[in-house]
Parts: sequence; structure tokens; C-alpha cells
Amino acid sequence: MKQRILDVEHLRTEFHLRSVNVAAVDDVSLTIDQGECVGLVGESGCGKSTTGLSIMRLLPRSGHVTSGRVLLDGRDLVPLSEAEMRQVRGRAVSMIFQDPMTSLNPTMTIGAQVAEPLVIHFGSSKKAALDRTLETLHLVGIPNPRERVDDYPHQLSGGLRQRVMIATALAAEPKLLIADEPTTALDVTIQAQILDLLDRLREELSMAVLLITHDMGVIAGRTDRVMVMYAGKMVEAATTDELFAATRHPYAEALLQSIPQLTQDASARLPSIPGHPPDLSRLPPGCRFAPRCRYASPACVEEPPLEEAAAGHLVACFHPVGVLPGSGAAAAWSAPGAPSGIPEPPLPPATTPLEPSGAPSRDGDPMPPDAATRRLALAAAPVLVEVDHLVKEYPVRGGGMRRRVGSVKAVSDVSFGIRRGETFGLVGESGCGKSTLGRMVAALERPTSGTVRLGGDELLRLRGADLRRRRRELQLMFQDPYASLDPRMRVGSILREPLVVQGVGDRRQQWETVASLLDEVGLSRRAVDLYPHEFSGGQRQRIGLARALTLNPRLVVADEPVSALDVSIQSQILNLMKALQRNHGLTYLVISHDLAVLRYLSDTIGVMYLGKMVELGAADDIYARPAHPYTHGLIQAIPVPDPSIEKAKRSAAVRGELPSAVNPPSGCRFRTRCPLAQEICAEEEPPLRGFGPGHVAACHFPLLSPSADQQAGGAPVVSVTSEPAPGAS
Amino acid sequence: MTGFVVRRFGQAVVVMIIVSIVIFGILHALPGGLVRAQLGPRATAFSVHELTIQEGLNKPIVVQYGIWAWHALQGRLGFSYKLNESVGALLSQYLPRDLLLVGISLLLAIAIAVPLGLWQGYRRNRPDDHALSALMLVFYSMPSFLLGVILIVVLNIWVDVLPSTATNFGTGLGTDISVLALPVFALCLGNVSYFSRYMRSSTVDNLLSDHVRTALAKGASPRRLLLRHVLRNSLTSTVTLIGLTLPYVLSGSLIIEALFNYPGMGLLFWNAAQDRDFPVLLGVVLVVTVATVVGNLLADLGYAALDPRIRYK
Repeated sequence: MKQRILDVEHLRTEFHLRSVNVAAVDDVSLTIDQGECVGLVGESGCGKSTTGLSIMRLLPRSGHVTSGRVLLDGRDLVPLSEAEMRQVRGRAVSMIFQDPMTSLNPTMTIGAQVAEPLVIHFGSSKKAALDRTLETLHLVGIPNPRERVDDYPHQLSGGLRQRVMIATALAAEPKLLIADEPTTALDVTIQAQILDLLDRLREELSMAVLLITHDMGVIAGRTDRVMVMYAGKMVEAATTDELFAATRHPYAEALLQSIPQLTQDASARLPSIPGHPPDLSRLPPGCRFAPRCRYASPACVEEPPLEEAAAGHLVACFHPVGVLPGSGAAAAWSAPGAPSGIPEPPLPPATTPLEPSGAPSRDGDPMPPDAATRRLALAAAPVLVEVDHLVKEYPVRGGGMRRRVGSVKAVSDVSFGIRRGETFGLVGESGCGKSTLGRMVAALERPTSGTVRLGGDELLRLRGADLRRRRRELQLMFQDPYASLDPRMRVGSILREPLVVQGVGDRRQQWETVASLLDEVGLSRRAVDLYPHEFSGGQRQRIGLARALTLNPRLVVADEPVSALDVSIQSQILNLMKALQRNHGLTYLVISHDLAVLRYLSDTIGVMYLGKMVELGAADDIYARPAHPYTHGLIQAIPVPDPSIEKAKRSAAVRGELPSAVNPPSGCRFRTRCPLAQEICAEEEPPLRGFGPGHVAACHFPLLSPSADQQAGGAPVVSVTSEPAPGAS
Repeated sequence: MTGFVVRRFGQAVVVMIIVSIVIFGILHALPGGLVRAQLGPRATAFSVHELTIQEGLNKPIVVQYGIWAWHALQGRLGFSYKLNESVGALLSQYLPRDLLLVGISLLLAIAIAVPLGLWQGYRRNRPDDHALSALMLVFYSMPSFLLGVILIVVLNIWVDVLPSTATNFGTGLGTDISVLALPVFALCLGNVSYFSRYMRSSTVDNLLSDHVRTALAKGASPRRLLLRHVLRNSLTSTVTLIGLTLPYVLSGSLIIEALFNYPGMGLLFWNAAQDRDFPVLLGVVLVVTVATVVGNLLADLGYAALDPRIRYK
């Protein structure tokens, strides 16, 4: 039997907030054996990170472990003094964090940072520390460690920085590694590589790993056992295979269902969990999930004990799912939103004071049309946005005189069209130019060359007042619901401001518009007098959406609209976006790194790589039959919440990292990372070729054979792009 | 780094040229012109004419600026008829004393404020931090001349340990130190409160940052945390502040010098202002401006030296 490394028993961590004590972690127990990876999963605020920090005793000042034991190799860490604890940190237990940019010291070389634990714990000499540092950097896959060792963090890409972060954690060869959302800030392609690295290192060093994440896909592929947390409590714990095959807790089930799947029926509503996690200082009595639970009964006012439901499968619920056939997560996969075998809950679904109880169901009105009807309607719709040979380059200056020494080719010759009422999804890794493209479409940035037309007019030709007046036709929805609303303006003023700026209606009409918008996005009218900080992230994103709709725009450009939200909230917003599109005849340009989200939301998808549009087509088509190896790689890299699929994946589908946009590779820009690349790819830029109706891709060695006629007629969703790209003579 | 230094230096030169044009303009806007300003209202037409020719004031304005700028570069900043000495000579006599006073008080302020701010940041919101903050607030809200007067009352009149005037400056190292002590303290305490306040808040920010948490996760001791991870990052923002404070320290010294009778540029300026000795006044203004520009340049270079993100761009 493997050695037990970590044994956490009945851990309770409290935070002292103003007048109340709040238990962020309440009676959590877990064990990890040598070489084992245990996942801790839940939404933000569920206490998963606090559990990790409690083990390390790195809690903020107001936080303390108030009871329980943390046994590391049989030794209890809780009673240790701070000085003794310092001996443990970085030596026996290491921790890596989410954001590799802010988690590394910007003013220290990476070599010094990796060597630091050695200096602290072993008092290593300079020479010895350097040798071990180079070894560790090599171990985590940093190319040419000797040249890199004197670099500063900002000189490295995000992926390399996270490798350095891992190196600092591993330098002293700890027995336990706590990885707190280690890949959340990274692109999917890089995420797969970093997770592969962690897997490899765990095996090589036979470390125990506690993987904290919100991503069920990551959990499915990488962990041996999983614990699900909700509002500070452990609600379910099982082996990974068991948890996904026979989910018992309604929260875990709902969490799994609300993740948009690549196989999702895009015309069906995404199942979502109503409301949001409770405030820890005002917990509901009994089961903490009961107010949001569809199976809740009067019994749930008592706290359910964590009991063994099957061998090694713990669950804290009076009404575990999966007991009756037809319910449970596994069944829900094949039929999302399928009614469960359990009768209507006697308790009404929970609502928060700000969300009328009808809100979630209102999102669904009117009944969504089926996919075929929608496609037909779209094919007949006129083109609203035309993007024609769009180029954006930013100058790079250098030297003492700040001469122009080159340019960042952010967007290179991109053309496409969006029909009225269509949702166009733009996907790619960070740095591929998708946000720049979005800003140009929103007329916030002037292209270097090429044009963007909205309803036939080139908005950026206009100046001053004319341009400002036409801006009402274009609105934006932002990623960060915290940063994109003025914290010193009341929600009413935020929503009314566009109307005031554009001089639409009188005072009374403006307030009426605001009130009806609040109804529409499912917020109480009381919201007008509140400030943004009084709302949760999901509610703020609703406000952001309402703000975008105030002027009744024709096009909404949404840049990563749900990537800052928890999955249960994300699905609420996605449903809302779809409902509003139907009610207002909106056209969306949605920019996202998340293919599953785009696949659910979009009619057409454009895949961008390093400034180029490499593939474009109907959403289903792109997923079912990707032609470009990059698209295929991206799809492969998405972690799927299914252990059998995830664990079968051999290795990261797209290797390496995005090259510099200042000197993009010659010919096909993807060739440096492409498994199929040959000589011609370096010499000639591949033209866009047709692969079926409305489906084009730029690749010399596509995964499908190109259709005979490039001009695909009668396409349900026609793209403007049909002519070959320049350079393909 | 070289590119950055060259660029920053170029900017400083451009700023200096603009400033010199402004000062030249002020010189010409003097009532009755430069000649009358020097000779006084009762000078004869002949002597006015003679000085006009002598100073080249009949030439086109651009040429005049060229001549003036060329002379200024060589340290020839005109002649003080009141003191019967060239402005350049006066400045070369008084300026070093200022550099001594201001330099010592600034260095002392930094030497006290940086560790103080670091400590307060580390001990934030604990009783010792609150006590120190309160004390610093007292210094901060007190104008330097009042501080000077209080210092004189306490350390000279009540307990006679230090001289209250600096008239016998330059008579030996021992006296110089005792003579400088009070003006240096009067000038420095306000800055200590200012710098340490800033240092405290950037220390707090840094202590709460992710990279400090990483250092803690490695097992770093508080000492290592403060000296290796927080100090340098907190200094980057404080250094900019120090550079920006330089002109205020210089102008503060004008009052302190008058108060302590310290024979520095402040005293020179004070007397010149009372005598309407314009060439001297403008000479001092020019020196203060140069100091400001140089101070900013040094601050930026210091920033670049501390923060690699500025260096490698």
C-alpha cells in the first residue's frame, strides 16, 4: 500500500469579518497518498482555495484554522509555530497559484526565484543552487535553461512562466504539491501541456498532488479521486470514475449539467442552477444547497451528514440522485435538461432578493426555434456586418530615438460577414488578434487597411457627431463584470447613461426603458438605486448586458462575456443572451477562448491563429469536421468532463506556444506547431479553400478533402470570404 | 537600458531648452527691460544706451537668446550691480552649501523613511504602526519653518545644545556639523513623514501581492520577505516620489536658510528678492529648474535600475 502523505481531519477555517466569524471551510476531511492526485472542485467562494491555504497556513490575517488536524506524514501541522511552519513550506509542501504573471516577483530573475527554496531550506551554495536550478528548469521543460536563468518573468510567455512557477515549487522536491487553479489563466493548448507536465512530474517524483480547480474537465482527466465542495462544506467525495459515472449529490449533478458540451444541442436551453452560492455569513439552515436544489424537501432544513452511499463514495444529501434510473449526470449527458424521475420539489426554487423567481424561466421565452428553422431564417437574412481584407498592425519602436523597428501583425487580411440575427463566434488563443478584430468591428479602433461595414456603411469614415450618433447601433459587452461598471455610479444611472448621451427620449421614458431592461435581464427594479458592488458577478454581467441593450443596438460585440463567471452562473448568462437575441433580433459577435461556449452560442465560427482567419464555417460543421489541424487541436485540447475520454487522450494536441506576431512564421503561420507541416508550408501561404457549404479553411494539408467548387452556393450561413488570400498565386 | 537612458536624457535636454526660453522671456518682460532693471530708474540715457550695446540688447531677439543661452551654458548669468559681483561667481559660492544642506537632509530623510515605511507596512494596523503614523502626521502637517522654530525653541533656547544660527558656517568641521544639524532636521522631518507614508502603503500593497504569497509558500522568513521581495518593489514607486519632491525640498530650503541665517542660495535669493536684484533671482531660478529636471532624470534612472520591466522593453 502506498504511503499516506496528507491526512486532513475535520478541518475548520474561520475568517473574522467585522463583527461575525465566518467558516470558509467547515468540517473538511481528505487524504492523499504518495503519487496520488486528488481534485478539489467547486465554484468560487466554496472554500477550495481556503482549504489549500489552510494546509499551508498561508491564510490572510483575518483567517485561522480553528479546529481539525492537518497530518503531513503523520505530523500535525496545526499546532506548529510560525517558525516551524516555515520549515515545512516550500520543502515538504509546495504550492502553485493561478496567475503566473503576478505570482512571480517581477524584480527577481527566474533563476533566483527557483533557487530560493534551496537557499532557504538547505543553505545551498551559489554553485549548488545554480546547478539544481538548471536541473529543475530542465525538468519542467524550459528550453535552454542556461540562457533563460537570468531572465525576468516579464520576458517569458504565460506558459513558460507557469513552468517556472512549478519549478520554484519543485526545487526542494516536496512530498505534497498543492496546485490552486494552475491552468485557469492559460490558453487551452497551454493548459494541456502544463497538466501533462504536472502528471509527468507527479509520476517521476512520486509526489502527492492536491489539484484545486473549478473545471470538471480538468478533474476528469487528471485526478484519481475528487471532492466536491459547496459553501465551505464537502458535499461529495469519490474516485473520479465513480463520481462521473454515478453522481449522487444534486449540486455535483447540476454543476456537470450546466457546462456547455461540445456535443450539446445548441438550440436547447442549457440547464442552469438558479440563484447563486449563499453568503457565508448568512447561511441557510441545514443543507446549504437546498435553496438552489431542485430535489429539496422539508427534510433539508436538517444538515445532511456525509455518509457512504457506496463503497468509498461519500455524499451529504438526503435525496441523492442516481438512485432512480433516468436521473444522474450520466443520463443527463445524453439528454440535457431531461426531467429527472423525482417529482416536483415541494420547496419553491430559491431566489435571491434581486432576482424575481420567474427570471430563469423567462430566459426561455419564447420557445427556442429548432436548429433547422433558425438556419433557414438566417440564410435569408441580409448581411449586417461585412469585414473586408481587414489589417491591423501596431508599430514596435526601439532604440534611443524610438524608431519604428517593426510591427505587431495583430490582424492580417481577415474577411467575413455576419448576417442579421446571426451569432458569429471568434475563437483563438490569447494574442491571436480576436479582441483587436472585435474592437475594429465595434469601430473603436481604426484598421491599418481594409474596411468594416455595418448595414452597408463604413462607420469609421464618419467623424465627430455623426460617428457618435451611429455608435448606438454597436454595443459592447465586456469580460470582467467587476471592472467594466463604474463603481461610483448607481445601476440606474449606468443603464440610463447611453440614453442621455444619445438624447433618446425624455426623463420619464428613459427610466421606463431602464425598468423594462431590468425586467428583461431578470433583475429586480430595486437595482436602480444600488451600486455595482452590491451585486454578484453573474448579476453584474446581467447589468452589463442590459447596458449594452439600452440603445437597442443592431450588433453586440461580446468579448469573453462569460469567462469570468462560475459555470452555474455562466449557463444562466448564456441562456439569457440567447433569449435576448430572439426577442430583440440581435446580431452577436462573440469573442471567446472557450470553444464549448462558442459552439453552444454561435451559428458560425471563425478560428483565428496569429492574426489570420484559418477556418470559418457553421458551428456544427467546424466541430464535426474540422479541416484545419489547428481547429482540430483546439477541440482536442478542451478538457471534457468525462474521465473515459479525457484519460484516453495521449498528449497535448497542439505543441509549443504562439510565436511572435512581430515576425510571424513565413508561409502558413501555424506551421511551427503543426504536426502535419511540410516544406511547402514554409514557402507558400495556404489559400482559403472550401470544404462544404460556407466552410472554408486555409491549409495545405487539410484533414478533409476540399470540395470541388470553392464557391459554395446555397450555404445556410454564407461567409463573404470566398476569394483566395493574397500570396496564393 | 542604453536606449532608455539616451531617450530619457534627450527628453531632459528638450525640457531644459523650453525652460531656458521661459526664463529668457521673463528676463525680457522685466519692467523697463533688462537694462533699466540693472541700472535703475535714474540712469542717464547714455549709460542705458551703452549697456544696451554692451549686452547686445539691440540685436534680434533670437540672436539675443542665442547669446544668453551660450553665456548661461558657460555659467555667465549676468552681473549683480547690487552685490557688485557676477551671478555665476555668486552661485558658485552659494550653491555648494545648498547642495550640502539639501543633499544631507534628503539622504537622511530616505535613510529614515524607507526602513520606517517598510516596518510600518509589515506591522500595519498594529499599535506601533498607529503610533508612528500619528507622529508622522504631526510632522507632515507642520510647515518646515514652524518645525524650524520649534527646533530652535527646544534645542537652543530650552536646552542649549545646538546653535540657532549658521552664520559661522565654514569655520571648521566640528562647527559645521553642529551648525547644520538644526536646518537639516527642519528640512528633513517633513520629508520623512511624506516618504515613509508612501513607502508604507506600497509595502502594504506588495505584502498582499501574489508574488509575496509565493515567497511565503517557499518558506521565506519575514526578514527575507521584506528585504528580498518587498523592498525593491516598494522602492520603485517611492523613488519617483523622491524625484518629484526635489524642487519642494529646494524651495523649502529657501525659508529654512533665511530662518537659520545659513549662507546658502536661499539667503541669496531672499536678499536679492528684497533688493530687486533680478539677475541673481533668475540665476537662482535657473539653478532650481536644472535641479528639478536632473532630479526627475535621476528618479527615472533609479526606477529603471530597480525595475527590470522598464529596462528591457
